[in-house]
Amino acid sequence: MDKVITVKIAGPAGTGIKSAGLLLAKMLSESGYNLKDYSEYPSLVRGGHNTYQVSFSPSEIYSVHFMVDIFISLVAGHWQEHSKEFGENTLVFADNDGKINIPFKEMCDKLGGNIYSNTISLGLLAYLLDLDKEFAKKNIADAYGNDSNNLSAFEEGYSWGEKNCQKLSVEKGRNTEKKIIVDGNEAAGWGLYKAGLDMFVAYPMTPASGLLHFLAKNMDEFKIKVIHPEDEIAVASIASGASMAGSRAAVGTSGGGFALMTETISLDAQAGLGVVYFLSMRPGPATGMPTWTQQGDLLFAIHSGHGEFPKVVLAAGDHEEAYELSKLSLNLANKFDIPVIMLSDKNLSESSANTKDFNIDEKEVVVSTKQIPGKGHTIKLYNSYEHNEDGYSVEEAAESKKAMDLRLNKEKDILEAMPKVNLYGSDKAKKIIVSWGSTKGAILEALKEMENKEDFAFLQLKGLWPIDPRIGQIINGFSEKILVENNATAQLESLLKSKMTVEFTKKILKYDGRPFFPEELKEELND
Amino acid sequence: MTNWRSGVIPTWCPGCEDYVIFAGLQGTLAKLNLDQDKTVIVYDIGCIGNMADFVKGWGVHSLHGRSISTAVGIKLANPELNVIAIGGDGGIYGEGLSHLIAAARLNIDITVIVANNHLYSLTTGQSSPTTPKGTKTKSTPHGVPSVALMPVELLKTVNPEVTAEHLDCKEPLKVNEAMERAISHKGFHLLDLEQLCVSFGKQLKQS
Repeated sequence: MDKVITVKIAGPAGTGIKSAGLLLAKMLSESGYNLKDYSEYPSLVRGGHNTYQVSFSPSEIYSVHFMVDIFISLVAGHWQEHSKEFGENTLVFADNDGKINIPFKEMCDKLGGNIYSNTISLGLLAYLLDLDKEFAKKNIADAYGNDSNNLSAFEEGYSWGEKNCQKLSVEKGRNTEKKIIVDGNEAAGWGLYKAGLDMFVAYPMTPASGLLHFLAKNMDEFKIKVIHPEDEIAVASIASGASMAGSRAAVGTSGGGFALMTETISLDAQAGLGVVYFLSMRPGPATGMPTWTQQGDLLFAIHSGHGEFPKVVLAAGDHEEAYELSKLSLNLANKFDIPVIMLSDKNLSESSANTKDFNIDEKEVVVSTKQIPGKGHTIKLYNSYEHNEDGYSVEEAAESKKAMDLRLNKEKDILEAMPKVNLYGSDKAKKIIVSWGSTKGAILEALKEMENKEDFAFLQLKGLWPIDPRIGQIINGFSEKILVENNATAQLESLLKSKMTVEFTKKILKYDGRPFFPEELKEELND
Repeated sequence: MTNWRSGVIPTWCPGCEDYVIFAGLQGTLAKLNLDQDKTVIVYDIGCIGNMADFVKGWGVHSLHGRSISTAVGIKLANPELNVIAIGGDGGIYGEGLSHLIAAARLNIDITVIVANNHLYSLTTGQSSPTTPKGTKTKSTPHGVPSVALMPVELLKTVNPEVTAEHLDCKEPLKVNEAMERAISHKGFHLLDLEQLCVSFGKQLKQS
């Protein structure tokens, strides 16, 4: 098995950590590696403590690792709180701060500014990891335009490495096909676009804003409308109005914004309007921890909106699924004229991977059969009141029951159209891990590296609502059943128990704003 | 001539001035000869919103306060449509005030018609954003503590480019003319129509 290498860069906000990180990811991807990255940052614009880390390997990689091989502190004082992530051979670089001394400040002064430590680091990393120098310089020139100081900074870092370090022995990357670097938000954006998105409406909210930014940046090329209105209530009702007028519409938000949209989810269900709600979760309650991760809104999403009605809730486990399931979400919304909630979380939304180039795919568009104005269709009223088939209000007992039944009966067909589960490993294994969403990465990465991996199967649920009761039979086919969730109250367990008989023998829950790392899961799974 | 009547008998109280708005709208739609397939009316929740059932035409009977934002979505999705939002003072000036302001800032080409009777009447007469200060209602037995909102004046400040008019339903012919101006206007237009609720309006007179 190829060794996974993990690089981490840390420093205060505003020192270009994320941009250097993404450049490094690009360089690694173009060198034929597979990669996953992850950033941590507090909710502020300058100062604080930010990190970017990337794990890469010539073979498949599913999540970043906790243990770091190369750590760079751009400013003194930013490595100390990470010492648990260092192993015996970890290279820790810092400016005159008790570790391998790299004189960032001196080099920056020579270059005429204090903002070049990030690019100096890229030079050092290019040397240490034996990345193609000219390739790297081209990427830096593309990213920073005509600021030739950045190229000089890269050269400084590279030659400092040559003088002071030895190149690491790293397996070369082997990918030859073109890959793109996307985070989960962007992958979702590609998916919506490839399902024929016409309009995207959103109010900024971390960690979903990246989807708004991606679609806004590409609105001309994608020929879509991107609207940022006064609040999330307007977001949802604009999207519903657009759906009524024949647009394929989606919105994006996190928990707090989604809370404001729930009245409209109910409207969509009552009136028969298909809209996708992209919900990227962060820790709550309330404002919670805006820039951290949690899977705390599963049951909220499933139960969102007043009244009883069918809806769909999907959850992506990785970037390819963020793409595929977002595509599916818009098609399900329009096939059944219902609200569809597409779940992500900070861990997926704001972490990047290199994936296939989604843009080469053909569009897959399922068109709603509902009547829309301006096309010569039979006129209809879309009604938030209970109504008959023409849309006119009804309150009479038999008629209102008929309308309710008609709506709820959609659920049988919806269930058939839901994405199937992913079952990894052998059905002869002793133990089954059950999870959903972005925990997939750390689970697969842990299993990849475990000596007793044959003992485990892994069931990943992508369609969370409506939930297929046959899932219980799969789980009950294993003697040990292990639940893994990035939340405090085991929401998937509650969901499963509401529809089937399942008893978990072990629950691994994490709810400190951080995602699971494969190392800790390996330990917990074998515990 | 296009039929704009659904055949459902209106359920408003006898003597309600919502009939004036209903008749005015029917007449205006016919007079302007609007393409029925390209005209969408979005109704708020409240007495006037119940017009949704009485009209034959494309429509959305939306949620309380959300008629304007729903109408904005329809217009943005298909700018060829004539889009009219109809609501009361509770929905448009209370629950949905931010949407009124945002649509006026955008100067989007929709018409907003408000049946402004200074009360929440469908919920039996609580105070609204346009109830005069001091008025005693079911929800304000000691009198309304806030000053009343002045919607036409407000919009002039928000965006001088939009048009906004205030008329009284006591003058149906003028209301009809104003409705014609409102729907023909290219850009955002607010038509604020003064009413007195026949069932709960007495409390306003007493104050």
